[in-house]
Amino acid sequence: MNNEKLIELRSISKSYDGEQVLRSINLDIHRKEFITLLGPSGCGKTTTLRIIAGFVTPDEGDVIFDGKRINDLPPHRRNVNTVFQRYALFPHLNVYENIAFGLRLSKTPDEEIKTRVTEMLTLVNLRGFEKRDVSSLSGGQQQRVAIARALINRPEVLLLDEPLGALDLKLRKDMQVELRRMQQQTGITFIYVTHDQEEALSMSDTVVVMANGEIQQIGTPEKIYNEPENAFVADFIGESNILNGTMIKDYTVSFAGQTFTCEDAGFEPNEPVDVVVRPEDIDIVPVDKAMLTGEVTAVTFKGDYYEIIADIDNFKWMIETTDAFRAGDTIGISIDPYEIQVMKKSEFSGMFGDYSTFSDEMDHLSDPDGEASE
Amino acid sequence: MKKTSSRATVLSKSYSFLIYLLLYLPIFIMILFSFNESKSMTNFTGFSLRWYRELFSSGKAFEALKYSLIIALLSAVISTVIGTLAAYGIHYMRSKALRSTVTSVTNVPMMNPDIVTGISMLLLFAFVQVILGMQHSLLGFGTLLIAHITFNLPYVILSVLPKLRQMDPSLSEAARDLGCTPVQSFIKVELPFILPGILSGAVMAFTLSLDDFVISNFTIGNSFQTLPILIYSMTKREVTPDMNAICSIVFVVIFVLLLLSNLTGGDGSGRTAFAEKIRRHKKQIMIGVSALLTCVTVGIVFLFLFVPPPVEKTLNVYNWGEYISDGSDGSLDTIEAFEDWYLETYGEKVKVNYTTYPSNEDLYNKLSSGAAEYDVIFPSDYMVAKLRDEGMLEPLDFSLIDNYQYILDDFKGLFYDPGEQYSVPYTYGVIGLIYNSAKVPDGLVDGWGAMRSEELRGKILQVNNPRDAFGIAMYDLDIDVNTTDRAEWDRAYDYLAKQKSLVQSYVMDEVYNKMESGEAYVAAYYAGDFLFMYENNEDLAFCQPESTNFFIDAICIPKNPARDEDTYRIANIFINYLLSEEPAVADAEMICYASPNSLVINNGEYIEYMSEIHEDAMDILYPEDLDFKAEYDKYCYRLLDPETNRYMNNLWSRLKIESGEGEDFDPTNIIALSMLAVIIAAAVFFAVRRKRREKYYS
Repeated sequence: MNNEKLIELRSISKSYDGEQVLRSINLDIHRKEFITLLGPSGCGKTTTLRIIAGFVTPDEGDVIFDGKRINDLPPHRRNVNTVFQRYALFPHLNVYENIAFGLRLSKTPDEEIKTRVTEMLTLVNLRGFEKRDVSSLSGGQQQRVAIARALINRPEVLLLDEPLGALDLKLRKDMQVELRRMQQQTGITFIYVTHDQEEALSMSDTVVVMANGEIQQIGTPEKIYNEPENAFVADFIGESNILNGTMIKDYTVSFAGQTFTCEDAGFEPNEPVDVVVRPEDIDIVPVDKAMLTGEVTAVTFKGDYYEIIADIDNFKWMIETTDAFRAGDTIGISIDPYEIQVMKKSEFSGMFGDYSTFSDEMDHLSDPDGEASE
Repeated sequence: MKKTSSRATVLSKSYSFLIYLLLYLPIFIMILFSFNESKSMTNFTGFSLRWYRELFSSGKAFEALKYSLIIALLSAVISTVIGTLAAYGIHYMRSKALRSTVTSVTNVPMMNPDIVTGISMLLLFAFVQVILGMQHSLLGFGTLLIAHITFNLPYVILSVLPKLRQMDPSLSEAARDLGCTPVQSFIKVELPFILPGILSGAVMAFTLSLDDFVISNFTIGNSFQTLPILIYSMTKREVTPDMNAICSIVFVVIFVLLLLSNLTGGDGSGRTAFAEKIRRHKKQIMIGVSALLTCVTVGIVFLFLFVPPPVEKTLNVYNWGEYISDGSDGSLDTIEAFEDWYLETYGEKVKVNYTTYPSNEDLYNKLSSGAAEYDVIFPSDYMVAKLRDEGMLEPLDFSLIDNYQYILDDFKGLFYDPGEQYSVPYTYGVIGLIYNSAKVPDGLVDGWGAMRSEELRGKILQVNNPRDAFGIAMYDLDIDVNTTDRAEWDRAYDYLAKQKSLVQSYVMDEVYNKMESGEAYVAAYYAGDFLFMYENNEDLAFCQPESTNFFIDAICIPKNPARDEDTYRIANIFINYLLSEEPAVADAEMICYASPNSLVINNGEYIEYMSEIHEDAMDILYPEDLDFKAEYDKYCYRLLDPETNRYMNNLWSRLKIESGEGEDFDPTNIIALSMLAVIIAAAVFFAVRRKRREKYYS
């Protein structure tokens, strides 16, 4: 990854049937970067990808590729290839011909096609599958064929639209490693779309968190996780306790009825803020040494740790600990200053409450009037 | 446990066996009988290729098959191309409402009865003809092709659309993403995906077109016939075994085609080396085949639609099916012989378009609807009277019909043409009793009384048409068959109603099989047909009752303002030719009905030929002491006035519905009622269940 900009999206807006899907998106994508567009369904990440691929023309804004505006360039003239969610392999062609498809179109000599297809099959670990029918392959194998088919054209950018969504968990993890390897081996820019935050964090150089057609935060996985810029990002990436707080002064914040020392500064005195504390960053201490005390209401065994829901001053906290507790126990907690992330109030403030209810996604599933998304 | 499951397998196996038996047994029997030595449809007398030989020698059926195949192929190809593009367009419509509207509108013509499509097509073409100010009817190859494409289209669209819906929309995106232009993406990716749908649409279109009768009948015009129309018009006589042969050939060809397509196609499993080869050279093959198909299609369309026909006289002749000598079994091909003779005599080429119809009523409908123009027709006596009365006949030019002098005086100036202006008699015949002398006691069949003989209960065949059935009753009751007195008709009805319990069935063509196989003992039918049956069963005998019906089929020229002088002249010459010795003898030998032509009945070869069929053939066809004119005048069927005709038809329907012994039992009613009851019960059941569930949910 270097700092040379390859794709620039400038104030991109798009709406379908009066519904705004993208609101003035600005995004720079650099050469050899593995960038992930992360967000819940309906956030506009796939539309952004399709705008880059050329299947969707933005209503407003410019798509700049290598310094040139390409808004009106049709997909087949863009030096970009896509791996589709459901692979979209050509069922009437075998593995070899699927992969060779792009080269055949550009009238590449047979000899070269052969070498490059073999090269690709090696890259995706599918040597010996040349003559197989694509319908006889497993999901993971089809996925690799789709990647090989897209990469053989040596595009400058590879677009991947939730490519691992249909695979089971183990295979998905392996493929994440594989994809990262392929990206590093080929040096091609990958733009990856997913709603799986873990996938995004483990593979990407840069993560772009999107919601409601807007970019919420751009940053490295560590930065996104450790320093979420608003309640949405904090909630969407990992588990988090998001509390209302007040920034009394620099490095001092009050929430849950207590005042804490923190590492954040630059807010107005007494500015209302959102405070994030990750469940794994909370220390359980004897009650007499505790900053806060509360009662355990639920315990879930997670294998290498326990997930505890504790009621502290009528706010249900999630705490991860290796010690066993039982519902009804009284516990005390302590939070180190560097574990407290203070965020400005945003449109998402207050939308994500404590752990007394199910997640938003769960609510969404149970809502009969809600639209099926994407 | 094991026992039940094995019983279940036996049951399910025999069930599928039964289904396949039902599906394929008729075809198997047809193929078997196409190799039958004799003409019989019931007794397999020995293996022979006779009917295949005859088929190849006569050419008439082959020509019809050729036209059927050309029309089917062309309409399938064209409608597949148009239909696929249409389906593609419908599939990618943005508005859902518009898409579903267009789809339903597309389906409507498919639900339409063929008759509606046929008639509307006919009207359209007539309308266009008027708009273009053309004199001649447009009907012909072009209109038939257009009609077939029209009725095929919805089927193609219907079989392509689901394939498009099945297709992952990102398939074409993937293609474009990899460098395809939209057109390339259609050809390289979408087309192969929907190809099975396209192919099944094409096959469906092909077969639908191949066996369409109704729509074709309205739009085909007068210059040629397709196979279904030819076969349908053969019903004046029984369907001949060469039809078995041609249908067997069609079946085998289609079967082989399907087999081939299954071998080469499929979904990858069990691909043969041959298929692999095809796959490798697919592009070249595809290009080759599509180029070939395009060339053939465009070529043929051009040939028929745009190239004006060569300037040569044509004569449109419309006759009963199987009612002329056609060259089979080494006989004279009358039509071909006329064309040769005309060329030799007048040094000018004339092309005879010879097509056929199954009944006087079909002829009348064709003429009065203007669906086609004809120059020479062969109506029966009462139909001549009707056509004449309605001004639909052109007077003949007897100065061109010298051979009229050979027509016996008995057949001149009869009621249907008293002024001898409009017609020339072609054949005549008598209806009588055909009986099985081996099964019926001597002397029992000596007049119409046999038709109500208790002794023959269940072995009597009555004619399945009202005019003949009532006629027989009236001859037996000594009533004038042309009476307008309702009481007399009621008496005839009572006769028939009483007779009903004795009758095995009411038949037309089936009379052949039933009499030849000995299933029935006595039947009322035509003398000429008796001779045909006698060839297959020598136990049969013929009895001509004292009072009986004589009919005459005549030759006429229908009125047609668009016909030019020259064609009119040729039509008269053609009629004259039919009356000359050689063709008249050939036709009489082929038809086996009596001839009114003295050149025929005095011809030694003819007499010998007939007596080879049956030693008394000449006496049966030409009874010695017959005063034809008097008998004919007294007993022939005349045109009934509409009132009486309607009354007769009503009585006839009543007869067919009600039972002979007054019990009100009709199985069809019972079946219909019980089906209705089942449907109502099912409807009530589902309605109640739905109500209950709704209640439960709310």
